[in-house]
Amino acid sequence: MKLGKVIGKVWATRKDPSLKGCRLLLVQPVDDEGRPQDRVVVTADPGTIAGGGDLVVIVTNTDATETFDRAPPVNAAVVAKVDEIG
Amino acid sequence: MIFAKIIGTVVSTQKNEKLVGRKLLLCRETDHAGKPLSGYHVAVDAVQAGEGDFVLLSYGSSARMTETTKDAPIDAVVMAIIDEVEIDKTGPAAP
Repeated sequence: MKLGKVIGKVWATRKDPSLKGCRLLLVQPVDDEGRPQDRVVVTADPGTIAGGGDLVVIVTNTDATETFDRAPPVNAAVVAKVDEIG
Repeated sequence: MIFAKIIGTVVSTQKNEKLVGRKLLLCRETDHAGKPLSGYHVAVDAVQAGEGDFVLLSYGSSARMTETTKDAPIDAVVMAIIDEVEIDKTGPAAP
């Protein structure tokens, strides 16, 4: 899993039915000191737990499908909103 | 998921039986603003997308998680047509 910062949203009316009601967030992956790293990724937020500016934990690849009851075609998902890093 | 723009259709008569009836789209990878990047994918269409559409593409084994692509020998699927990408005013910056 990686850390990332939510920098926006993606709106898509027509999408796979398994993603109905699920928000799609634009997340900038960051390194362990908060510096931007790699390309921006589109990330599903099935629990609606994150919003703009939040630091989040994202899971990528097929493992991201485990965040849903019925596996959807996603490559990245938000699994936690970070309160603080101690 | 990655951003892509559909630049064409791949037509094939002889293909794997699990691909029969599936539309194959030629997709150019783009950034979140739609600017073309160097990579491309041949992707199965799951949302009736067409040439010129700005879409989201899912790749790898996750791509088999739609009704259209279940159990099929594919590694890329067009699974959403993008209406809008909204960037927060703070923009892509370090937290």
